[in-house]
Amino acid sequence: MSRLLGWLTAAGLVAGIVMGFGVAPREVTQGNVQRIMYLHVPSVWVAYLAFTVVFVASIVYLARRAEAADRIAHASAEVGVLFTAVTIASGSIWGKPTWGTWWTWDARLTSVAILFVMYLGYLLLRGMIEDRERAARYSAVLGIIAALDLPLIHFSVYWWRTLHQPPSIVKPGAATMPSVILAALLVNFAAFTLLYAYFLHTRVRLLRREQEAMA
Amino acid sequence: MTFARRAFIVVWKDLLVERRSKETLNALLFFSLLLLFLFQFALGSDRERLTSALPGLLWLGFILSGLLALGRTFIAERENDCWDALLLTPGDKSAIYLGKLAGNLLLMLAVEAILVGLFVVFLNLDIARALPGLALVAGLGTLGLASVGTLFAAMTAHVRARELLFPVLLLPIQIPVLLGAVKATEAILLGEPLGAVAHWLKLLTAADVIYLTVGVLTFDAILEG
Amino acid sequence: MIPDNWGFVLAAYSLAAIVLGGYWRRLVRRDRELARAERSHAVPTAGQPRSAPASRTPLE
Repeated sequence: MSRLLGWLTAAGLVAGIVMGFGVAPREVTQGNVQRIMYLHVPSVWVAYLAFTVVFVASIVYLARRAEAADRIAHASAEVGVLFTAVTIASGSIWGKPTWGTWWTWDARLTSVAILFVMYLGYLLLRGMIEDRERAARYSAVLGIIAALDLPLIHFSVYWWRTLHQPPSIVKPGAATMPSVILAALLVNFAAFTLLYAYFLHTRVRLLRREQEAMA
Repeated sequence: MTFARRAFIVVWKDLLVERRSKETLNALLFFSLLLLFLFQFALGSDRERLTSALPGLLWLGFILSGLLALGRTFIAERENDCWDALLLTPGDKSAIYLGKLAGNLLLMLAVEAILVGLFVVFLNLDIARALPGLALVAGLGTLGLASVGTLFAAMTAHVRARELLFPVLLLPIQIPVLLGAVKATEAILLGEPLGAVAHWLKLLTAADVIYLTVGVLTFDAILEG
Repeated sequence: MIPDNWGFVLAAYSLAAIVLGGYWRRLVRRDRELARAERSHAVPTAGQPRSAPASRTPLE
């Protein structure tokens, strides 16, 4: 299973690169630097996916005390932090030539930075509690609160950046994207999701073996 | 013994202990005064600058003193070996959570009121008209801080390096509350009506409801062992 | 014309490759370590030579 998943992931990533660099056209306003989007946007999507999984697994753990749920939460948080780091780094690198600065407190970058620190704290908490059962319980509570915080973060940061009128919609309407660019983006979404699934699967199995070895 | 009575007993006990020793309140008040000095020295004596930064400074002050107060929520139980007594409490342990939360709220609101008073005196402010709005925002924001803070205090009570882990875990979660509180405070101090910041007040209220609910539902799990 | 800034594109993708690839390598390394540990735990019981069951008498 994991071998198949691994090969699918590799194929997906190759397809993503091909789409992002070969098929997608040179963007009109930004030039080729816009191609970073095919890395940046799927990364942030996977990060949010990962933390949603942490949320669900945390609830399942508290409700049923199933160790498998705890392992999934732990692994997903790890992978999520990884992709969050990639999101921030790629966003910063994209920002330098386009906005002229390495960092700006724009809504998305700010939200992702907060996300990063929150889940880094989650991993820190796990690392500092020796008793496995207690670590599982405590991180489950943290995982639930952090995830429920996400919409609050989204709105507060967005309103913070738009000075006067609070928007009545969730997000400003995205400008319609040419279909080739959208297709390339979607392929990369799929590839990164596969990568997430592969990492998650592998890490969960490793966690189980580590726990069995220590039992 | 009813749930409410159990919660009340926790608050009452903490208040009695505090009234006899007065150590926490006094130390926090002194800390607030020192914060005021710190802000003054760090930002220079330009009163205009301090007044324009006032919303942020106020909430920085509230958060810094709040962190100290919240971090100590379970210190009495921990230092006096009463932790097991907490674990053995019959019935729904979230009564303890609410009791501790109420105690923390009273403490933090008292410190905040004093801090506002100190700012008024030192910066010669006139905020009489803004007081009701300010009280509302302070109440909503402090409830947000205390609800998660009390929960995390229980969580970190037995972790090594808890003084470090507690703020590290709490502060990122509290950013929406901080943003909302500062923005609302800013508007109120500028004389704007509460309606202008309705979206922030709704956000703060939503945050409070979410945090309280999670706190009540999960405190049992934290206190299991 | 707008400059292409390929350097930035390369930097972003390389960084991602290093971070994600590095994690993958860590997983592979953990896998190998665990496999080695599991094998060394399993060997003592499986490797001892024993006499054939039929030739053993109850009193031996």
